[in-house]
Amino acid sequence: MTSVNQYALEVNNLAVEFTTYGGTVKAVRDVSFKLRKGTTLAIVGESGCGKSVTVQSLMGLIPMPPGKITSGSALLDGEEILGLKTERLNQYRGKRLGMIFQDAMSALNPTMTIGNQIAETLIVHRAMDKKTAWVEVLELLALTQISEPARRARQYPFEFSGGMLQRVMIAMSLACKPDVLIADEPTTALDVTIQAQILNLLRNLQEKQGLSIILITHDLGVVARMAHDVAVMYAGQIVETGSVDDIFYRSSHPYTVGLKEAMPSNKTVEQELRVIAGSPPDLFAPPEGCGFYARCMYAMKVCEKNSPPIFGNHHGARCWLHHANAPAHILQQSLKDPTN
Amino acid sequence: MTLYILKRLAIGIVTIWFIATATFIAMHLVPGNPLANEKATTEVIRANLERRYGLDKPVTEQYIIYMGNMLRGDFGIAFSEENRSVNDIIREHFPVSATLGVLALLFATLGGVLWGALTAIYRNRWPDYVIMFFVILGISVPSFVFAALSQWLILNLNQVTGSSILPVAGWGNFRYMLVPALVLGMSTMAYLTRMMRSSMLEVSNTDYIRTARAKGLSTTRIFIFHQLRNAILPVITVLGPAIAIITTGGFVVESVFAIPGLGRYFVQAVAQLDYTVIMGTTVFFGAFLVLMVILVDILYSFIDPRIRLQAEQ
Repeated sequence: MTSVNQYALEVNNLAVEFTTYGGTVKAVRDVSFKLRKGTTLAIVGESGCGKSVTVQSLMGLIPMPPGKITSGSALLDGEEILGLKTERLNQYRGKRLGMIFQDAMSALNPTMTIGNQIAETLIVHRAMDKKTAWVEVLELLALTQISEPARRARQYPFEFSGGMLQRVMIAMSLACKPDVLIADEPTTALDVTIQAQILNLLRNLQEKQGLSIILITHDLGVVARMAHDVAVMYAGQIVETGSVDDIFYRSSHPYTVGLKEAMPSNKTVEQELRVIAGSPPDLFAPPEGCGFYARCMYAMKVCEKNSPPIFGNHHGARCWLHHANAPAHILQQSLKDPTN
Repeated sequence: MTLYILKRLAIGIVTIWFIATATFIAMHLVPGNPLANEKATTEVIRANLERRYGLDKPVTEQYIIYMGNMLRGDFGIAFSEENRSVNDIIREHFPVSATLGVLALLFATLGGVLWGALTAIYRNRWPDYVIMFFVILGISVPSFVFAALSQWLILNLNQVTGSSILPVAGWGNFRYMLVPALVLGMSTMAYLTRMMRSSMLEVSNTDYIRTARAKGLSTTRIFIFHQLRNAILPVITVLGPAIAIITTGGFVVESVFAIPGLGRYFVQAVAQLDYTVIMGTTVFFGAFLVLMVILVDILYSFIDPRIRLQAEQ
């Protein structure tokens, strides 16, 4: 095992489909991203754009059938984890790949104590006996700032609040000291105060343990607070990637610009919230050209029939406007060229 | 927990009182009386008999006397069998019915959980189809058909092997109990299989099973520690009614297999309007069922911590 890899996780050309009675849904189309070690990559996008499907397919959590990974690779520190058999995959998930979910209340087994649920991971992956595991459980609960760990570990999920349960989820996913933590909308179900606490906790743990985090969210506020790198997803594709500054200050894709403008700010009290007109395309039959074509205010003729490639390298945007032949004035007006 | 059990027991006693009173009233509303047969040939004998059984007193007084005796655990003397106390009949024949019932319940529960889990694991594949075919059969075919069919099968089996491995009827050791208990538990087993199947499928789609998979647990471990316990909860809830179905169904099976259980007395007593036996068997069965339902509730609270902790508060 070589640790010279710069990336904790590298996903290339991932495509996922779901076969349903209504036809085939192309939920994820040609998604590639890289997670640098010790950093946080935020995947943002609206509901149904394929964020969760992307990470769940990495974890082998999408039901197959109807789901199917049609192409792609995912390298966890250089090792392929996509398309593994369950037994092989189980050597990675829970151990080197941790995951936390949106609704912690339903994501924990209601008839098992918190302590046992955390200990289980330790017993399975680190071959601990129950006693040693329990000691570790109490340490983990303390690490995630749960008071009275010894008493709390013997309680059941319904005796905890939502924020507390999310801490438990974090403790559980960190039990085996994973390299990568996937957080699928970890704070969506929580109120803002608790959300801030959970995010702080995640950041502290990242600093302490050198954790690499994939953070899925639709909240740009959370992105600004947590992320080093950002991937913006739209209609099953990544439309823009870059550092958090690239995305917020040098947005290169019309969709990212639209998202930013739709963010409520504390200055414009009198003004109505801005929205991106229209709705995302039907993924049963994804458009031939750019997925954002129908809603894009800068749409050109080329966009209708030709799917744009990603222009730019570290900061990249999937938009024809960055092609050499595109009219330059739009770029100067409101979009930044990612290749500069 | 103790308080919870005591509370349940108190409610149980009220239930039994209600059963007793309702039966008493219904029984006296039925036209005729237990002495309307050849025994009371003359008016004098009739008057003597009525005095002996306390039927000469007003009904309200009879009720009070009966309730008083019942509280002391005395169900009185049977009309149909001279000088034989109802307590005696119950003591002699109830153990047979109970053994049969408990065995049937055991078959039904274990079978239901096992087959149900299997159909869920092999959903939409041939084991699922085969088991579900038999489930439909088990639900729709009445137990006396199964009983006769199984006797015919035993008969053929014994003829082919030239020995009597399984007796066709009667009562004795475990060999006698096996087939009647299976027949008696059949419809409940089929019903529980269906419940277990849908409950397993529901559980396997929950978020916490997804979490368990994300933790990298093996399929077997997820099945045993996460799915089974949660899926079994709805099955346990219906165990109470299932016991009632099995107990009442026992009367039919007992008569087909010539088993000396309490069922025969239960049915005969109604036909002959044998007041004391009707009251005795009904109240006793009622009390038995109430107790079983309480036991099921206690069992439930052990499996589901949410119920247990609610009960403790």
